[in-house]
Amino acid sequence: MRSVIVIALLLCTIPRPVVAQDEDAVRFGIKGFVDTYHALRTERPNDWMSSKTRVRGEFSVEKGHCGAFVSANLAYNAILKERSGFQLREAYAYYSNNHWDVRAGRQIITWGVADALRLTDIISPMDYTEFLAQDYDDIRIPVNGLRLRYSREKWSLEAVAIPVNSFYDLPTDGKNPWSIGSVSIGAEPAFKICNMEYGGRLSFFLSGIDFSFSALHTWNKQPVICNGVGEYRRMTMLGADMSVPIGKFVVRGEVAEYLDEAQSASVCQEVPRSASTNALLGIDWYVGNDWTLSAQYMHKYVAWGEHRNSGLATLRIAKDLLHNTLSLQTFAYIDVTNGGLFNRFSIDYALNDQLHAIVGHDLFHADAGMFSVYKKNSELFLKLKYSF
Amino acid sequence: MVDKEVKEVKEVKKVMIKKMFVLAACLMAAGQMGAQQLTGRDVIQKVKDRPDGDTRYGELELTLIKKNGNTRQRKVTSWAMDEGKDTKKMMFFTYPGDVKGTGFLTWDYDQIGKEDAKWLYMPAMKKTRRISGSSSKTDYFMGTDFTYDDMGQRHVDEDTHKLLREETKNGHKCWVVESVPVDKHEIYSRKVSWIRQDCLIADHVEYYDKLDKLHRVLSTHDIKKIQGFWTILKMEMKNVQTEHCTVIEVKNTQYDLKIDKTLFTVAKLEKGL
Repeated sequence: MRSVIVIALLLCTIPRPVVAQDEDAVRFGIKGFVDTYHALRTERPNDWMSSKTRVRGEFSVEKGHCGAFVSANLAYNAILKERSGFQLREAYAYYSNNHWDVRAGRQIITWGVADALRLTDIISPMDYTEFLAQDYDDIRIPVNGLRLRYSREKWSLEAVAIPVNSFYDLPTDGKNPWSIGSVSIGAEPAFKICNMEYGGRLSFFLSGIDFSFSALHTWNKQPVICNGVGEYRRMTMLGADMSVPIGKFVVRGEVAEYLDEAQSASVCQEVPRSASTNALLGIDWYVGNDWTLSAQYMHKYVAWGEHRNSGLATLRIAKDLLHNTLSLQTFAYIDVTNGGLFNRFSIDYALNDQLHAIVGHDLFHADAGMFSVYKKNSELFLKLKYSF
Repeated sequence: MVDKEVKEVKEVKKVMIKKMFVLAACLMAAGQMGAQQLTGRDVIQKVKDRPDGDTRYGELELTLIKKNGNTRQRKVTSWAMDEGKDTKKMMFFTYPGDVKGTGFLTWDYDQIGKEDAKWLYMPAMKKTRRISGSSSKTDYFMGTDFTYDDMGQRHVDEDTHKLLREETKNGHKCWVVESVPVDKHEIYSRKVSWIRQDCLIADHVEYYDKLDKLHRVLSTHDIKKIQGFWTILKMEMKNVQTEHCTVIEVKNTQYDLKIDKTLFTVAKLEKGL
């Protein structure tokens, strides 16, 4: 991995024009942003929930069909000091021609059509250090692996192999306002060939419908708690998804069967394993006049235990104003099973082409279920972001 | 003798004048017949059929100008390829930084009633989303004064066209055509286009709102032949009601490039520029 970065950085030092049209020339690009984000709890003790500043750099270098991409953060986190410093996000080398696309290295892989929910999209795990109160692209954790894709005009076939597994980052440190409490996490699977994740996805892109089929031999990347210890076990996912545009609407559907999924149990001799069925139906409504509405419902059925059914819904309403310089958005997760809610409302104003000021409010309301641990974590936030 | 000659000359003159009247009348009639034969639809069809190569490439700079003079900018790189009467397009934003890398893939179908296929790639999310093929046509493109429809090509029969007259506009002989949308949900009630007869490009277009008040005015400048194809290098759309204006400058235009049709796929959309 280091060699990829070193090669990319060395290539970046070669003086060349920023963008060259000549295929034989070395082309390189740079983009990124500087942002500062601060959040204040709206409930007592009205303390700072987050205070961080970072620089994100994304570098690419390409010659002919080959290239490399590196994305990294240099961050200062005033609340979670251990999160300050250099953070490598993605670093991969690639080969790409008209039909083949090969990527090797640390990368984020996304599957499926669900929006901010994960059914078939379980390759790149989640960073829950600040739960969902951060940008969705910051929540995804890259994986170290190989992705091979062969594409034709209306279909593509993708294969992935991930020898080095990545797992969820859970906030277990008591100093973290987003801590879920002290949980002992068991050992992650060792770096062995037999522990490798692998799978594939066959996708079709047609004039009236997109659909795909996927399969992945993987791990439960969010540990299940058994006898008070977080555990990881093997599982297999079989999935399918589709998107159908109908006039001003796009209907999205996704199903995933998790075979042998590990289940949490307060007392157990062996981690319970059971199949679960996950299904999602979503609809996007492109109302016009820069309004967008999107709603999803996801249902999970586990063929084991007392609480076999659970439901989670999302609702997004977005509106652009003033020639796209002002964007209003509200995005809610609704825990249908327990009656909980997490809603992020934000106002994004473009002060100029590069600088955005974003203010917003995170609202938690829950007495039970996944959001109840954060029921006192409602907050106001301010973010300034300079993109280059 | 002289009187006789004078009489003969007068007779000849009378005959000639009669003949000239008949000829002039015939020519006028023929001209009127020609004008009657050329309909508004014919003019718009001519515009649509104007040669523009099988493939196209361009770099667009869009400058949004507020009433107070403040400006915002967006830059886009675009490829297009004709497949029969259909067109495939790939477009990436290159500026500003927060949208850099965002890509649109569009398969525009000529057939009326067949929805265009559209995909949006969001680089921050590493995700491609299928988007509605019909709704965005009447929305404004990235906050500009151009709708998605203005940026593409409307099907000729999505409007009913009427040739109003011929007149000279900005020194160019033009056909003046009024177009009324068939679908009453369009954002304009009618538009009047001054189509240059020399290059089949609209020199000036007036869009009227639902109350039939002038809403937006398009004017094109700097029209040149590139590789033998007439090309608009600069155009301005002004919303006369809000006095907001958008100027599009097209740079590095190229036609008939060797582009593989695999460029217009979701895989390439996700790979990016």
